Amino acid sequence: MEQLAFGLVAAVLLYSALRVVSEDNLVHTVLWLGVTLATTAAAYVLLHAPFLAAIQIILYTGGALTLMLFGVMLTQRVESVEVPNAAAGQGRAAIVVALLFGVIAAAVVKTPGLPSSPPVDVPVRALGRSFLTTHLLAFEVLSVLLLTAMVGAIVLARKADPAPAPTPKPAPKAHDAHGEAHP
Amino acid sequence: MNPWLHAVLYSLVLVTVLMTCTAYATWLERKVAGRMQSRLGPTRVGFAGLLQPIADALKLLQKEDIVPLAADRALFNLAPPLTVFFALATAAVIPFSPGLLASDLDIGALYVLALSGLMVFPVWIGSWASNNKYALLGGMRAVAQGISYEIPLLLSVTIVILMADTMSLSGIVQVQADEGWFIARPFGLGLATFALFFVAALAEGNRIPFDTPEAESELVAGPTTEYTGMKFGLFYMAEYLHSIIVAGLGAALFLGGWDGPIAPGLHWMVLKTLGLWMVMLWARWTFLRFRTDQMMTLCWRYLVPASLGLLMAAAVWVHAVHGVS
Repeated sequence: MEQLAFGLVAAVLLYSALRVVSEDNLVHTVLWLGVTLATTAAAYVLLHAPFLAAIQIILYTGGALTLMLFGVMLTQRVESVEVPNAAAGQGRAAIVVALLFGVIAAAVVKTPGLPSSPPVDVPVRALGRSFLTTHLLAFEVLSVLLLTAMVGAIVLARKADPAPAPTPKPAPKAHDAHGEAHP
Repeated sequence: MNPWLHAVLYSLVLVTVLMTCTAYATWLERKVAGRMQSRLGPTRVGFAGLLQPIADALKLLQKEDIVPLAADRALFNLAPPLTVFFALATAAVIPFSPGLLASDLDIGALYVLALSGLMVFPVWIGSWASNNKYALLGGMRAVAQGISYEIPLLLSVTIVILMADTMSLSGIVQVQADEGWFIARPFGLGLATFALFFVAALAEGNRIPFDTPEAESELVAGPTTEYTGMKFGLFYMAEYLHSIIVAGLGAALFLGGWDGPIAPGLHWMVLKTLGLWMVMLWARWTFLRFRTDQMMTLCWRYLVPASLGLLMAAAVWVHAVHGVS
């Protein structure tokens, strides 16, 4: 039963991932990515990690995908359902991806002591405790990373640099526009 | 009984009951709205208009199914059933009485939030696939609203999880049955959290006064502009289903769920859900629609800081009462 479920999830995962890179329409790409992310959550459920699955749905399918839709809608001139995906079907990317896959596969094979049986359910309480004890450093570093990203996003999104101080004088005249700082 | 058979049978019963409730929710809404506006509401079809929902469904089924020529056909057809699917899937973890729920997930509260976060996708997909500017504007508003109000909603449920010390919805109800309902405990904080949850849930479900995506005075009918017949009916149904399930969730999280004297638990759960749903109706027919920018201001300037403050207060309270565990 579990083998069958895993096969199904893996098939959907691979197919949707393939569609993500091959689709010509950018919006379709994003929606296929949604399928990929949701199926990843299903894979987590099969691995007895329901908490991770729920977080995957909330953060990636619910959050990140929405932001991507916004990105697509706000950067393109959307005049119809045809939104071209200029990056579709690039051969060079395949080489990079193959290399990356090789590295990850090698890492998995070389790692000693990976459990072959499905892992036991970890209660959420234990998970939370380990975040705040054993893995506290990684947890905090991640928070700093997210904070940095947030500050960066705000800086980028700000329309223009507001004047450092409100200048009492009106607009500078033509003759003093030669680069000298105003007092 | 075989667990698979049990799951299938229970789901069938649950879906049937929820669909019937949805149909009669439209009847009740029209009756209540009529009375609030000094009208009678439906009276013609059957006694007191009781057959009206069936007549409505038959009418919708007969309507011509129009797919705009320039629409993205596959996505256009996918969106309506998907909304109903997400709305129904949420119901799986709502506990109706002790032991009466489809699946007692350890992470029930998170599961509900995860699915309600996905609810905006079918709406957006339908709006984009319609290839209509009003629909797309409505869809964008729906997504903006959904992703913004999800934060106070998540945080208000987090407060309940923190106070109950469990993520299982039946566990949360059990804690309330033992120690008191979360709407009143701790005094003030619980009520404020409930208010926050309720406002965020109304906005997440695009109910008036937060129905800016639909805004018929500006956007025709928002995301559903191009939909006809039963496809429109499915969107409509999903909205009602969602509001009923949100009322049930509110009852389970804050009003003690099945907990109550004398009558069996199921009666109390239904009564509380119906009560909360009536408050939604009351709000719907009393308030005016917000503007989109007011919606965003309300969420990001007031609700998000308020929810963060409440979360800290709840943490302090839990620490004071239970100590470090």
